[in-house]
Amino acid sequence: MTRAEKQQLHAVRAAILGNRPDTSLSDTLYPVYVAVIAAGAYGIPASQQLFRSLNEQWLATHVWTTSGAIVATMVTALLLTLVRLMGRVHGPVVPPLPYLDQVVASPMPRRVTLGRHWRLSLGGSIVGGLLIGLVGGAGLAIAGVTSSVMPLPGAAGGALLGLVVAELWLRGQVKSTPLGLRADSALPRGRRNALALLDITGLRRQAASNATIGGAVLAGDLRTARLDAVRPTTHARAARLKASGPLTVIARRDLLGLRRAPWSGIYGLGFAAAGSAALMASLQSPRTPTVAPLAAIIVCYLGFGAWCEGLRLHADNSGTSRLLGLAYRDTALAHLIVPMSAWVLSSVIVGAALIRTGQVRPSALVWAVGTGALLAGAHLMASFRGQPPIGVFGPRAGPPAMIFWYAKPLLATIVVGTATTAWAARAVTPWNAFFWMLILATCVGAWGLSLVGKRDRRS
Amino acid sequence: MLGHRGATAPPTVRAPARHVLKANGVSKKIDEAVLLLPTDVKLAAAQCVVLRGPNGSGKTTLLRILAGTMPPSKGEVTLDGLPVDEREDITRTAIAALIGAPATYRDLTLVDHLVLIDSTWGHARQKGASRPEQILELLQIDHLAERFPHELSSGQQQLFHLAMVLLRPASILILDEPEQRLDTDKRDLLVQILSDRKTDGAGLVIACHDPTMTEALADYIVDIRPA
Repeated sequence: MTRAEKQQLHAVRAAILGNRPDTSLSDTLYPVYVAVIAAGAYGIPASQQLFRSLNEQWLATHVWTTSGAIVATMVTALLLTLVRLMGRVHGPVVPPLPYLDQVVASPMPRRVTLGRHWRLSLGGSIVGGLLIGLVGGAGLAIAGVTSSVMPLPGAAGGALLGLVVAELWLRGQVKSTPLGLRADSALPRGRRNALALLDITGLRRQAASNATIGGAVLAGDLRTARLDAVRPTTHARAARLKASGPLTVIARRDLLGLRRAPWSGIYGLGFAAAGSAALMASLQSPRTPTVAPLAAIIVCYLGFGAWCEGLRLHADNSGTSRLLGLAYRDTALAHLIVPMSAWVLSSVIVGAALIRTGQVRPSALVWAVGTGALLAGAHLMASFRGQPPIGVFGPRAGPPAMIFWYAKPLLATIVVGTATTAWAARAVTPWNAFFWMLILATCVGAWGLSLVGKRDRRS
Repeated sequence: MLGHRGATAPPTVRAPARHVLKANGVSKKIDEAVLLLPTDVKLAAAQCVVLRGPNGSGKTTLLRILAGTMPPSKGEVTLDGLPVDEREDITRTAIAALIGAPATYRDLTLVDHLVLIDSTWGHARQKGASRPEQILELLQIDHLAERFPHELSSGQQQLFHLAMVLLRPASILILDEPEQRLDTDKRDLLVQILSDRKTDGAGLVIACHDPTMTEALADYIVDIRPA
C-alpha cells in the first residue's frame, strides 16, 4: 500500500467514524483475549480429561497406526475442501453493505479497501488454529500421552493449518465471483491480487446473505437461514414427478428433490456410511472410549439430515393454505420414507462389508439399522421445532438458551445414542441396551410427532 | 373464449358437492385492535360473493375466517350448518383458498407441484388427459411447466398459485385479490375461468379491487366498512 493510499484510507475511516473514538484495535483484540482465556480455563482441562479417559491400548491399536494417520489426513483434507466450498457462500472478506456501496465501489484499489477485512479473517484463522493446536498439545502432554514439549509443535501446526484454512477460504470466495475472469481480462492475476478479483456483485450478495442469515439465526428463523445459505435448484429440470398414490408421490417427490440436489444425497451417503461404520465399530470392544459412539452418532445425525429436505420443506409450509389432499401428520411421516430407506440401505451395505471382513459382529448391523428410528424421531423434532419460545429472547436467557433450543434434537440423539451404544459395548449381550434404545427412540419420535401436531394446529 | 387458445378446463373428477357457507355477525378483535366489524355473508352453490372495501377494512381477515384458518372473536361460520374448521376433513375437502402466496417446494418445477397435488387427492390413477398439464394450458403458462417457482415473474407466480388452487377439488373457492399482478388479458382469462367454475356449481368468495371483474362475476357484493 502506498503512502497516498494509506492516507486516503485513513480519511475514509475518519469519515465513517465521525466524532466517535476509533475502537477498532480493542474490538479486534477483545475476542482474542476471550478466546485465550476460554482455551486456558476450559479448553486445556477438557482436552487433558479427554485424553486421560482414552484407553491406551485402544489408542495404540486404533489411533497411533498407519490407518489412523490415513484417516486423520483424509478428515483434514475433507475439512479443507469444505472450507473452500464455504468461501463460495460466505468468504473471509465480507464488509458491511454501506461500506461496500460507498467505499469498495469507489475507484480506490480493492486491495486497499478490502485489505483490513482480509487481514482480520487471516489473523482470526491463524490465532484460532494456534489455540486449537495449543489446547490439543497441552491436553496430550498433561495427560502423559506424549512428551511435555507437545504444546509447541501443536501450536505451530495449528497456526499453519489456520493459515492454509484462510487461504483456501479466500480462494473459494474468489472462485465464486459472478463476473469470473475472462482470458482477455487485464486484471492482475495470482494470489497476491486475489482481493482485486473480488467483484462488487459477489461481495454485495455475500454481505446481504450475511445480514439475512445473522438476523434469522438471532430470531430463531431457521427456514430463512437455510434457504438463504443454499442456492436455488436448477438441476434436472426435465425430470418429471411421476403421478402415483398419495403416499408414494411424497416419497417420489423426495427422491426427485435429491436428484435435483445431488450434493445433498452424496454428502448424506458419505456421512451416513461413515457414521454407521463408526457406530458399529464402537460396539466391538468394552475398551472403546465413550467419545467414539458420541462422534459417530453426530455424523449419523448429519448424514440422515441431508436426506430430510422434503420433511423440512413440509414443515416450512405450515401456516399457509393447504393444497395437498393428505393430512399434515401423514404427509410428515411420508417424508420419512426416503431418508429411512436410504439409512437402512447404506447401513446394510456398510455392515455387510464390515461383517464379511470380520470387523464387526452381525448384532452391530441390527444396532445400526435400529438407530434409524432414533434419527428419524430426532429429525421430526428438528424440522418441526418452529419458532423459539419468547423466553429465549429474554434478558436473562441470552445465547446459551438459544443454542440449547436449537440443539435439543441433536442433544436428544447424542444422549440416547451415546448412552445406549456405550452400554451395549460394555455389556455381555447388547440386546437389553438395544431394547432400551428402541424405547427411548420411540419417546423421541413421540416428541417429534407432538411438535408436528402443534404446527398443524397453528396452521 | 377470452384468450383460451383452445385450451379446455381440466376434466372434473366429480361434480362439486353443493355446499352452503354462512357467516353470521363474524368479527375479529385482537386486544384493542379491531380487524373486522360484524359482517354477514351467505354463499350458495353456483354463486359469487365479492368483498369490497378499502385497504385495512378486514377483507383478508374475513376470508381467513370463512376458510376456517382463523377463529372469529364473535359470530360463527358454518358449512352446511356445521362450524368451519380447516382441521376438519370436510372443510378441507370443500374449500380451496388462495389467501397470500402458498408455500412451494423450491426443488420442484411447476408441473411437478401440480402432479404432487393431484396425486395426494387420489387422482393419479385416472385415465385420460393429464390434469396438471391442462390447467397450465388453461392459464396459458404451459410453456413454464419446467421452470422452478423462483424463476417466475410476480405475475407468473400469481398464475401458478391460481393453477395450484384451481387444480385441487373444491366446491367453494376463496380467493384474496386473485387479479393482483395480472395484465389485462390475464384478468379477462381469469374472469372466464372463474365464471366457468361458477357455472359448474362452485361457490366463489372473492376479495376484489377490480370493478370490471366484480361486475362480471358478482351475484352479491359485500361492502366491508373499515373499523
